[in-house]
Amino acid sequence: MAAGILGALLGLGGGVFLVPFMVLALHLPMRHAVAISLVTVIATSSVVTSIRMGRSLVNFRLGMLLEVATTAGGLAGGVIAIMLSQRTLQRMFGLMAVASAFAMLGRLEKRNVIVASDVDTGRLGGRYHENESGGVVSYRVKRVPVAMAASLAAGSLSSLLGVGGGIIKVPVLNAWCGVPLRAAAATSAFMIGVTATSGVVIYYGRGDVIPWMAAATALGVLAGSRTGFMMGERAKAKWLKLLLAAILAAVGVLMLARTR
Amino acid sequence: MSDIAAERLERWLGRILGVGAVTSTSLLAAGLVLQLVHVRPDVADTLTHAGLIILIATPVARVVASVVDFVMSRDWIFTALTGLVLVILLGSLLVAIR
Repeated sequence: MAAGILGALLGLGGGVFLVPFMVLALHLPMRHAVAISLVTVIATSSVVTSIRMGRSLVNFRLGMLLEVATTAGGLAGGVIAIMLSQRTLQRMFGLMAVASAFAMLGRLEKRNVIVASDVDTGRLGGRYHENESGGVVSYRVKRVPVAMAASLAAGSLSSLLGVGGGIIKVPVLNAWCGVPLRAAAATSAFMIGVTATSGVVIYYGRGDVIPWMAAATALGVLAGSRTGFMMGERAKAKWLKLLLAAILAAVGVLMLARTR
Repeated sequence: MSDIAAERLERWLGRILGVGAVTSTSLLAAGLVLQLVHVRPDVADTLTHAGLIILIATPVARVVASVVDFVMSRDWIFTALTGLVLVILLGSLLVAIR
C-alpha cells in the first residue's frame, strides 16, 4: 500500500518501491518480487486507463504503435530474466533506481511546455482539453524511431525488473518527441498493462507468481495509489520530488549493497 | 480515423479495462478474505487464481478488441500493428508453457 502511495505521488507504477520492499524486507527472491510487481502494474494500468477514458489524454494510436516495441521488449526481458542470476538482477535494479533518482533531480525545475492549439497533429498526434488553462492542447509526434527505441528498452526493463517502464518512456516522449507531459504519462500508463502482460505470462508459467501475495499487493497498491493521488494534489511538487528522489536513491543503494 | 470512430474505440476499450479490473479485483478480494478466515482453502485458491487470470487476460482482451475495431474500420496499418502485439503475447505464452 505504501508502494502505491509513493508510486502515485511520483507518477510511476508502484513497482519501483514494491520490488525492493519485497526483496529487502520480506526476503523474497527477486523473481517472485518481479512477478508479483508485474501483476500490480497490470492492475494499475487497467484501473487508471478506464478512469481516464473520455478525456482524450491517452493517445491510442501512438500507444498501440509503441506497444509493438514494449511487448517485444517485455518478451525478450522475460526470456533473459530466466538466464540471469538473482544477484545480477538485483544489481541491475539498484543501478536503475539510482539512475532514476538522478533523472528526477535533473527534471526538478522543468515545467510542462505549452503547445499551441493550431498545430497540424499528423497521423499520430493528439489533441486534448486542458482543465487548468481551459484551452485545447494539440501536438504532433516527432522522432518516432526514438520513441520506438525507448519503448523497447522500457519493455525489457519492465519484465526484467518488475517496473512499468514509464520512467524511460515518459521523459523521452516528453523531451524528444513533442508529447505533452500529461499525455505522455497517460499514454504510458495505458501501455504498461499489455507490456507487463508479455512478461508476467512467462513468470506465471514458471510458478513465480505467489497467488495470495499477488492478490494482497495488487489490492494494496490500488488502495494506496488513490491515497497518493489525493496527497499529490495538495503537496508541493518540488519538495515531493526531492524527497522521493532521495528515497529512490537510498533504495537503489540498499539493493546494490545487500546482494546475497 | 475519424473522431467518431476514435471515440467509439476509446469507450469500448475503457469498458473492457474497467470490467476486467472490477471483476478481477473482486475475485482477488474474495479469495483473500476466504484465505484469511481459513474457510474452504480450496475455494479461496480457485477464486484467487481466477482473479489473477482475468487480470492478466484483461489487456489481452483489449488488444483483441482493437484488432477487431481496426478491421471494421479498414485501417490495415493498425490492424497489422495490433495483430503483431497479439502475436508477441502468444510468443510469451509459448515460452511459458514450454
